[in-house]
Amino acid sequence: MSASFLFSQFMGGLTAAMFLFLIASGLSLIFGVLRVLNFAHGSFYMLGAYIAWQIVQWVTVSFPGHFWLAALGAALGVAILGGVIERCLFRFLYDRAELYQLLFTYALVLILGDAAKFAWGTQQLSVSRPEIMNGGLQVLGATVPYYNLFIILIGPAIALAVWLMLTRSPVGRLVRAAALDREMLSALGANVGWIYTGMFMLSALLAGLAGALVTPIQSIVPGMDVEIIVQAFIVVVIGGLGSFWGTFWGSMLYGQVLSFGILIFPGFSLFSVFALMAVILIIRPWGLFGRPIR
Amino acid sequence: MVHRQVAAGLLAGFMLSPLAAWAADTIKIGFPMPLSGPTAVYGVPITKGAEMAVADLNAAGGVLGRKLELFSRDSKANADEAVRQARELILKYNVDFLSGTLTSAEAPAVSTIAKENKIVFIASTAKTTQLTAPQNLHPYIFRIASNTLIEGHTGAALMAKWQDVKKVATIAPDYAYGRDAVGAFTEYLKKVRPDIEIVDQQWPRLGEPDFTAFITAQMGKKPDAVFCDVFGGDFATLAKQGAPLGYFKAIENRLIDGGEVATVDLAQALGADYPYGIISDSYDPVVWGEGEPAEHKAYVEKLKKAMNNEYGSGWAIMGYMSIVAISEGIKKAGGTDSDKVAKALLGLTFDTPVGKRTINEKNHETETGEFWSEMVKDPKVPFAVMKKPVYIDPKPYLQ
Repeated sequence: MSASFLFSQFMGGLTAAMFLFLIASGLSLIFGVLRVLNFAHGSFYMLGAYIAWQIVQWVTVSFPGHFWLAALGAALGVAILGGVIERCLFRFLYDRAELYQLLFTYALVLILGDAAKFAWGTQQLSVSRPEIMNGGLQVLGATVPYYNLFIILIGPAIALAVWLMLTRSPVGRLVRAAALDREMLSALGANVGWIYTGMFMLSALLAGLAGALVTPIQSIVPGMDVEIIVQAFIVVVIGGLGSFWGTFWGSMLYGQVLSFGILIFPGFSLFSVFALMAVILIIRPWGLFGRPIR
Repeated sequence: MVHRQVAAGLLAGFMLSPLAAWAADTIKIGFPMPLSGPTAVYGVPITKGAEMAVADLNAAGGVLGRKLELFSRDSKANADEAVRQARELILKYNVDFLSGTLTSAEAPAVSTIAKENKIVFIASTAKTTQLTAPQNLHPYIFRIASNTLIEGHTGAALMAKWQDVKKVATIAPDYAYGRDAVGAFTEYLKKVRPDIEIVDQQWPRLGEPDFTAFITAQMGKKPDAVFCDVFGGDFATLAKQGAPLGYFKAIENRLIDGGEVATVDLAQALGADYPYGIISDSYDPVVWGEGEPAEHKAYVEKLKKAMNNEYGSGWAIMGYMSIVAISEGIKKAGGTDSDKVAKALLGLTFDTPVGKRTINEKNHETETGEFWSEMVKDPKVPFAVMKKPVYIDPKPYLQ
């Protein structure tokens, strides 16, 4: 096995990891702060992809930067939708048992899935790579497509930005307080309801952005929502529920295990990933970076 | 008391009579097909094709003077759901025939219901050889689609023509369809070209969102050509991720895909991102170019109107052919009795917009081949088309 081959395998795993992180970060954020496991997170991701496609159709392709405009529009559009859903529906659920929350988010998955089918039909759709992202970089004899490079860079950038926001800003302090003790915070006069809405919108924004950014390298099909939520969920569990950096390193591990796992067990592409999850759940049931509950 | 009974009887009669008259008048065909979820991409156009065949036949006066009626149902690509609906269609709606089903899980499941109820079932799209394997074969099951054996052997025969190819890799979805088709491919390739070595086999799961690792792993083994069974949206993903990695360039576009990625449906979705130069198949080329039969031209024109789009679909023909087969069976049998129609279908030859098809008496298969061609850029349409669609009859490869 040559070095360039191992390197390209590593870069493939890294790209997969950063994509998963873009999606899983929002899921982890919502669980960490709101304590809700949002199954509809994958639906936001799917809507991001569809909205991006729609904007690309509306804006003429000759317009430079149409793809970036679409990605931005999709992220904002999904964030607004997320805000509306949180204000009108979600906030009545925080005091309910987990089972009801799960049922509700699952219902949302079905509703949003059918809504997308109604709006965009069942055809697979596709968005072309932005032109400046055509081609790739030759590193150590392996080709790394520019677009993959872009994704590899944007993942850590978003991780850093969210982490700084949570730990270094006054808003972040409120958010952390809300995660620890909601009643106390609201007794101290903070508007917890809007903090929750804001966090929910941020999470939807990340999902929408991930959905839009995935369109140049994946086809948009009905069912992509459910497909991704399972993987995102595995990543969040590996990293530790609610731990932001845990999700980051969980994605990294997932990507590399998938990438090198198929070299070792070519016939069982998913085996290594699930084996990893099983092992981690046995050794550290709270995940790599999570804390044991109680 | 008597009055009340008479009134009740009259009321019941009144309520039932339109139903009864309806039942006697039309020939009812149950058509479970996935209309939601990822596989609706195929299910929706196939159902459209069936609806169109019904409309065409009814416009021409029906079959034996009776109108056809299609009972379309969403099977959700789930075998249990397809079975539940097939049962309901038979028991509650008294359908005369069953057709439809998409996946290799649904079709064999519905086949057992057809056997139980002695109702002819024409499977329109599933490719698994299990459907008509000797232990599963019964008088009421027939298949319009091709099968994994035909697909694998035809792919191998095409691959064998490239004399300078010595190292071949395969990539296919990790479930019955992919495993069976690749199995048939390697088995036949070893027979016709013992000098070729299979250097790598990748099995991404169905719906895999990231093929990068599979692609780089395969490129590492430096194959000269690839046999691929990745289809639909998954193929679009593979193509978009493979091109910037230099996957298609490394094998000089010598990729043969047996998963119908030559259909206009997928070509349109991929647009300019299509990996031009690969070879693939389609049941219906739709954009045919030179040598297009007149009846196909007329069919596509009608299809575009029915689907209300610019280029129709390469999948609609499967639904269309299924209904045509049933109607021809009824005509030959002289009635809708399933036992008689089942016998009439054996050895029956029928006309379709893409040519004649004959049902094999022994295995109940149409043994249909597909149209194969290199995929090229066409200045007339904004997507890849078949350079010269050629129908490959699989019979020589099935000996």
